[in-house]
Amino acid sequence: MATDRQSFDEIDWGQIDEESEREISPNFIIVAIGTALMGAVWAFDYFFVTGTWDAAIGMDFGNQYTPTFEVIGWGYDVTQLDWLFAFSLVLFGAYMILPLYQNPRMTKYYWRDMKRNRPAMASLGWLLFIFVIGVIGPAIIQAPTVDLMTKYQPPMFLEINNVYPINCVGEVAGGDCHGSLEHPLGTTGDGKDIFRIIVYGMQISMKIGFIATLFVVTIGSIVGTVAAYAGGLVDEVLMRWVDIQQSFPTFILYLLILYIYGASLFLFIVLFSLFSWEGTARYVRSNALAKTEEEYIKAVQLSGASTYRVIRSHIMPNSASSIVTDITLLIPSFILFEAQFAFLGLGDSTIPSWGVLIAQGRSDLAFAPWITLIPGLFLFFTILAFNFLGDALLDALNPEADAEAEQ
Amino acid sequence: MGMEWYIVRRVAWAAIVTFIIVTITWGLMTAAPNPQVQQAVTQAAMDGENPAEAEERMEAQLQLDRPLHVRFMDYVVGVYTLEWGWSNTRNQPVTAALVSALYYTVQYSVPWTILTVLIGPIVGVYSAANQYSWRDHAATGVAFFGYAIPNFFFGIILLLIFGVQLEWIPIVYQTGVPVFSVQNVIQLTIPIFVLVTGSIGAIMRVSRNEAAEYANADFVKTAKAKGVSTYRIYARHVIRPTMVPLSTTMVGYLLAIFTGSSLLVEVVFGIPGLGRTLYDAVVAQDTNLVLGSTLFFTFVATIGNLLQDLVYTVLDPRISFEDR
Repeated sequence: MATDRQSFDEIDWGQIDEESEREISPNFIIVAIGTALMGAVWAFDYFFVTGTWDAAIGMDFGNQYTPTFEVIGWGYDVTQLDWLFAFSLVLFGAYMILPLYQNPRMTKYYWRDMKRNRPAMASLGWLLFIFVIGVIGPAIIQAPTVDLMTKYQPPMFLEINNVYPINCVGEVAGGDCHGSLEHPLGTTGDGKDIFRIIVYGMQISMKIGFIATLFVVTIGSIVGTVAAYAGGLVDEVLMRWVDIQQSFPTFILYLLILYIYGASLFLFIVLFSLFSWEGTARYVRSNALAKTEEEYIKAVQLSGASTYRVIRSHIMPNSASSIVTDITLLIPSFILFEAQFAFLGLGDSTIPSWGVLIAQGRSDLAFAPWITLIPGLFLFFTILAFNFLGDALLDALNPEADAEAEQ
Repeated sequence: MGMEWYIVRRVAWAAIVTFIIVTITWGLMTAAPNPQVQQAVTQAAMDGENPAEAEERMEAQLQLDRPLHVRFMDYVVGVYTLEWGWSNTRNQPVTAALVSALYYTVQYSVPWTILTVLIGPIVGVYSAANQYSWRDHAATGVAFFGYAIPNFFFGIILLLIFGVQLEWIPIVYQTGVPVFSVQNVIQLTIPIFVLVTGSIGAIMRVSRNEAAEYANADFVKTAKAKGVSTYRIYARHVIRPTMVPLSTTMVGYLLAIFTGSSLLVEVVFGIPGLGRTLYDAVVAQDTNLVLGSTLFFTFVATIGNLLQDLVYTVLDPRISFEDR
């Protein structure tokens, strides 16, 4: 008579498990919509905007200027890197910024902690400034162009002997050319406006930071969880590889690869992120190993949570603080590496990055030091800001972590 | 079992790592088109000859037409017997070029390492002893400054000030100067200063935080109660436990700087050392020399990490080797 009453052990837990996985978080919706939008624009770019393939001649011209939004009169060419950058920004918004809004209590707690650290607040302000200008600036401001008529213009409030610039834009007084508002930070030896290069360089630095983060966190967390859950030989092999990667001189490796395959910013970012995930992998692995022993994870598992769910909603959030700290100290090293290669003339010399500018100004140091000094200072303050922020995050997010993790 | 067994395994592991690195570099070089062959093909095409023929001829000349495994074995044997080939741009064997470059690299890297290892922990412990005083803040400021300023940029600025404006140091490194002479000291001061400021920051921070943890430890309180002077407490009791965690990271950290920043500093100051050799080889497309210097740097890194682990096992008797 009680045949239609389901008893506990007859419930199809697999079905319930599937159902619970089907619930969609707002974060995921944002990522899905953002990706769909980007896919649409990308498809438009791919099918309707004239590509680099010239059918008449039958040749691919490679990196050519193909403005994506010419239809609406906006001459901005969206590149491969821009897509990756946009995607990482969407992910960053959905899984870093939105959770801060969703958990106001924790946000307030961290904020109180951070606010006391004045250098960290200043750093945060500086990085926000670089980020906002870097993302919006290149869309509005035109790319720097060569104009030999306006070479060696000094920055505002500075002057240069009038023999160097052919044609002084500002006023000439006593044989000296004075800076003008037209070129607020002066120009280079081939007449490129330094202010514009700085703005474009901000975007390049931010691209390096965000895209590298995307790669490092993805690969690192996959390797870390796989190592922790598979155990045995897989764990051993993966962790040995992490060891090798940690001791391998990345700078030299990149120099070798660059020698063989040639330089591009895309290759640079991909390579450096492919060889820098070892810290994240270690944190995630050790966290996964430690947390699987905890009572609450066992409780979650007993109530039918899948391994994916345990990783996604318990292991990753628990490792987040270590990963964030690790990343804040990793990004400045990427930006520095890019500048170093650009300085050596081995980077992508076609991009307007800070390092390229530093290298350009080197031969004119004696009479036009601003060409090197301005990008150098921007580079210095950006790296400094990331370091201060990383230090503060280390204290705020992870009170028990000691300074060893700084390494 | 125990320490000896661990050391044996650690050395064996280092050997395996070098082999893996050698294999990876070979794979990278083989997968890519050879610049010399490409050059020959372009030349043939421009001269109106058959490019395919020129390609075959060049490949035969460079012995690239043999099967892959033969080439690989040849390469591995060559690497381990120090037959690193002939450098076309320098007109000498690669090993000879590297040895002559090493001569200049050692001249600045030895003082740099010694200064960093000496000053870093001492300043760190000092600021831990005077925590939150103005001296501590000054030291922290210096640490962050050195850490954040790009070495090559700092080098350029100092060269501009001391070389171009004040003319205290030569703008280009003089190779003819004897090693132990005043001139050599003068011209190496700025490069060493740049490298030390770049590497000292992290070490100062770590040793400061480590030492600060011991500031209220029981053994420090006991020493204070016995009337031991502050100087002696820090010099004898605090600095030693501070050095243990530091020694695990210091070598790896210094090596990272050695392989990265020293190249930049050599290029900026015109020192014809190892980094400069690698850089020139890359620019001049000298494949053998690129490969040789790359392998040299990676071998140094591997051996350095091996030494660090071995020293650590000797220094810290608390480590258990059972599960390693």
